[in-house]
Amino acid sequence: MEANEQMTNVSSATDPFLKPYPDKRLKSRAWNKSLVVMRTTLLLLTVLTVYAFVSFDYKEVDFKEAALGTLTNIKVMFLEPHLKHFTFLQAVHQVFVTLGLAFLTTLFGGLIAVLLGLLAAENLSSRRVSLLIKGLVSFIRAVPTVLWVLIFAVAAGLGSVAAVIGMTFHSVSYLVKAYSESFEELDRGAIEALQASGANWWQIVFQAVIPSSLTYMISWTFLRFEINFAVAVAMGAAAGAGGIGFDMFMASNFYLDIREIGAITYFILILAILLEVFGAGLKKKLKVNG
Amino acid sequence: MAALLEVNHVSKQFGKDTKALKDVHFSVAEGEFVSIIGPSGAGKSTLLRCINRMVDATSGEIIFDNRNVLDLKKKELKTIRTKIGMVFQHYNLVNRLSVIENALHGKLGNKSALAGVLGLYSIDEKEEAMKILNALGLADLIYKRADQLSGGQKQRVGIARALLQNPRMLLCDEPIASLDPGSAKVIMDHLKNISTNWGITILVNLHQVDVALKYSDRIIGINNGQVVYNGSPKNLTKDDIQLIYGSEAEDLIFDVGGIHAS
Ligand SMILES: Nc1ncnc2c1ncn2[C@@H]1O[C@H](COP(=O)(O)OP(=O)(O)OP(=O)(O)O)[C@@H](O)[C@H]1O
Ligand SMILES: [Mg+2]
Repeated sequence: MEANEQMTNVSSATDPFLKPYPDKRLKSRAWNKSLVVMRTTLLLLTVLTVYAFVSFDYKEVDFKEAALGTLTNIKVMFLEPHLKHFTFLQAVHQVFVTLGLAFLTTLFGGLIAVLLGLLAAENLSSRRVSLLIKGLVSFIRAVPTVLWVLIFAVAAGLGSVAAVIGMTFHSVSYLVKAYSESFEELDRGAIEALQASGANWWQIVFQAVIPSSLTYMISWTFLRFEINFAVAVAMGAAAGAGGIGFDMFMASNFYLDIREIGAITYFILILAILLEVFGAGLKKKLKVNG
Repeated sequence: MAALLEVNHVSKQFGKDTKALKDVHFSVAEGEFVSIIGPSGAGKSTLLRCINRMVDATSGEIIFDNRNVLDLKKKELKTIRTKIGMVFQHYNLVNRLSVIENALHGKLGNKSALAGVLGLYSIDEKEEAMKILNALGLADLIYKRADQLSGGQKQRVGIARALLQNPRMLLCDEPIASLDPGSAKVIMDHLKNISTNWGITILVNLHQVDVALKYSDRIIGINNGQVVYNGSPKNLTKDDIQLIYGSEAEDLIFDVGGIHAS
């Protein structure tokens, strides 16, 4: 198919009389550098994956047995869940601890990010300051949250403090980008009008910039809250930050209780669904008013 | 009448070789309605923006209310800006806020930073806003969001915002260029009314020569950064129009001829 089109493309290029008008549809499909790079990468990855599977050493593994075992485990996990080492109410409490961690870090992160976001927005700040902050936050963003938590754990010790600082840190970098981009979208005119009327920077920010960006800010912040919830679960396990994640860690690594893992998974799942539903409702409402 | 605004030998240069204004010289009396006309790129917007220092003039003096605007410190500049309202071609409202909130923005410059940040306005200020919105025929729309208004309505909100500053002068940069003739007439009538009945000086950039002739006390013609006409609309001749707009102004000359004849 594609090769064919390439052929016609080539022939029409050499013989201008065959096709008097350049065909725009074909032109947009023509090979360019980025397409070549992308396809080569994909092809390479496919080849590597296939090669890896073929070349694995399967001697010791009985495929049928392994597959059946996994299926049984999954069945036990999700069809026969129970709570043994703590009660239902305790589990609910732990879920709220995790939610609290997510909420706190999003709140701290959001507040700091508003200030930095204003300074990072090119239309509200100087170019130098803007570039500096943007560079800094993109560096912070490039390192995963978990790593930041572990880095702060060096000073604060593994636990909730390191988790709060590390997660806040990454939330700030994420939200600064989101906020400053929505600030930059605000048209220059409204800012100029208020400048011309003698208003000062803070008044312009709170009377024009933030009201105009509020819906974007809320939906980005909520998205980060969802991310932070997932991270908080993981941090409970990886950094001993407590909450439902820590219970899951105990159930799997300490009690080896597969049924309890199933129960906890349900808890997390239900909460994730609730957040999703709430988020969708929020977005709808913002759209109506926004 | 004493001059409220004096523009003395003002020049403005952008970058190395764009001379937007060359030795511009004129004065405006309190309460006067002055139109500035000229071809695109002549420097009309630059001139208006130099007056309230949205753009810094390269040389010269701009005396407003006996103070040289070009010498002012940041704080003094803010105070003087509250006395000069500005009206824009694209209205420049905050779209997500209501009509009255946008209008009240005119008060920000006179408020403490904190009250302005929190958007706290006194009853008096709100009543004043209502009075002005009412005078501009916006009484029924005060809680409507700015982006739900028509262009003409938006421009009236823009004028209300400028008037709430209690300005001595309005700078209007092509206030009717994006409007249909009907809405444009409404806006021009309001501006004329503000000038005659409220005694506010008005400086307006216009593209339409016929509109300028009809409403102004005085016309300033600019070509290529220089004032080439400064006088009463009655004395504006075909030759003057040719001087302002250059040789490609045949259609305009025809229009002006028609207006003077009628
Ligand atoms: N910020 C700027 N930087 C560089 N050059 C500018 C800037 N603003 C205006 N100019 C230049 O100054 C000259 C005058 O522009 P100005 O916008 O004042 O013209 P104008 O008379 O308002 O035109 P129009 O009728 O199209 O609005 C133009 O040559 C323009 O390119
Ligand atoms: Mg202009």
